[in-house]
Amino acid sequence: MNYFLELLPSLLSGLKMTLGVFFFTIIGSIPLGIIVSLGMKSEYFTIRWLINGYIWIMRGTPLLLQLIFVYYGLGMMGISFPRFEAAIIAFIINYAAYLAEIFRGGLQSVPRGQYDAAKVLGFTKIQTFFKIVLPQVIKIVVPSFGNEVINLVKDTSLVYVIGLGDILRAGNIAASRDVTLIPYLLVGLIYLIMTAIVTVLLRRTEKRLNIWR
Amino acid sequence: MVSMKKKIVVNSIIGLLFVGIVVWLVIGLSAGAKHNSQANQETSKTDEWQRIKQDKQITICLDDTFVPMGFRDKDGKIVGFDVDLANAVFKTMGITVKWQPIDWSMKETELNTGNIDAIWNGYTKTAAREKQVAFSNTYHNATQVLVTLKKNNINSFSDMQDKVLGDQTASSGDESFNQHPKVLKQYVKDQKVVGYDTFDKAFNDLNAGRIDGLLIDEDYARYYVAHQTNPKNYTVTVGGFSVDETAVGFRKSDNQLRQAVNQTLSQFKKDGRMKHIENKWFSN
Repeated sequence: MNYFLELLPSLLSGLKMTLGVFFFTIIGSIPLGIIVSLGMKSEYFTIRWLINGYIWIMRGTPLLLQLIFVYYGLGMMGISFPRFEAAIIAFIINYAAYLAEIFRGGLQSVPRGQYDAAKVLGFTKIQTFFKIVLPQVIKIVVPSFGNEVINLVKDTSLVYVIGLGDILRAGNIAASRDVTLIPYLLVGLIYLIMTAIVTVLLRRTEKRLNIWR
Repeated sequence: MVSMKKKIVVNSIIGLLFVGIVVWLVIGLSAGAKHNSQANQETSKTDEWQRIKQDKQITICLDDTFVPMGFRDKDGKIVGFDVDLANAVFKTMGITVKWQPIDWSMKETELNTGNIDAIWNGYTKTAAREKQVAFSNTYHNATQVLVTLKKNNINSFSDMQDKVLGDQTASSGDESFNQHPKVLKQYVKDQKVVGYDTFDKAFNDLNAGRIDGLLIDEDYARYYVAHQTNPKNYTVTVGGFSVDETAVGFRKSDNQLRQAVNQTLSQFKKDGRMKHIENKWFSN
């Protein structure tokens, strides 16, 4: 117990990095994911091809590799971001690709007839999307979206490769300093608490959205 | 519905833009690669010494899990032998050190992309590394030793016949292991080694019997054995590996910086300050 209290400050400072990456990625990847999913239905084949290529690359290569590329690779080409910003950029473009596929599934489940009905009723395209389609899509995608969010909690640990100190690295440092595995146990516990909070929040959202089903 | 004409126009604009970006990226990449190979050919980049002196700050990287050379204490402060030494060296020049934790396998990339100015963290001189970085004079010597469990009765490198060996990936020990196969590699099982990212995990596997021996720098061996619940259970064997010279890594272009550090290091050796810091971290 004493040891736990001794470790807590360093673990908490690592937790700050983990949460920072988590929240910025969520905030950035949702709008980007929606835009990308709309682009997949574009009437211009070039846009569709580009987006499919983007999704193929993002889902087809490890996130770790993408982090290395954004930080070191682009750095070599003269486009250098600070460490934290590089991590956020890599995470956002990666997660936006996964989310776009989820949103696409949601968009496809809205029947074609609703678009026609909205048109007849005099809705503009933008109104149709925000007032009719989006609310239904949100309801449909919440469970699979939740999956990605929980994955993200754990994926944040990859930022070690560009020298950022997240909670897992804090655990690593303590483990090699004190030659014991206990820090890992604590780190695991903190991850569990984080995913528990995310799970509860997602369940609640789902329930609330079910009211008008 | 969008008219056919508009479709063609928009498609070709987007297509052209895309091709443009790809061409720009390829040019940028090849320029970057060229730049990089030039950086390796000695002094093509400018010397950063003026900037460091002006800012009164230098960025040095470390793997903050590297005990006892550079790591974090319980309050999260970066401490260690190399940390004390580097801080003292640059203090004499009126420069403060900014310690940047990095992933150890990326150290040379960090240095040559200019994210950091020096690698100072138990960094051993090797032939492969000398192609990438310029080393200071040696300030510390250590050899690679074999740590085994006493009950297994392994007292020489040849006792490792058909036994499983572990080491740290991309460490200098790993490099000497592969470069001098006669010393140890010829004995171990399948001539292969189990690579760990940190030594604490390797020690765990040693205790659990999943590996029979661990190849490790003697400074770390001393620290880790001393921190095990029962230090008497281990045997430390010094074999035929040559002595590793620990030095500071700089960019090849930073001659003035390297000379300044070399001067201060030899001064520290003469006036006993080096000994003082060594005693603090390596005596047991």
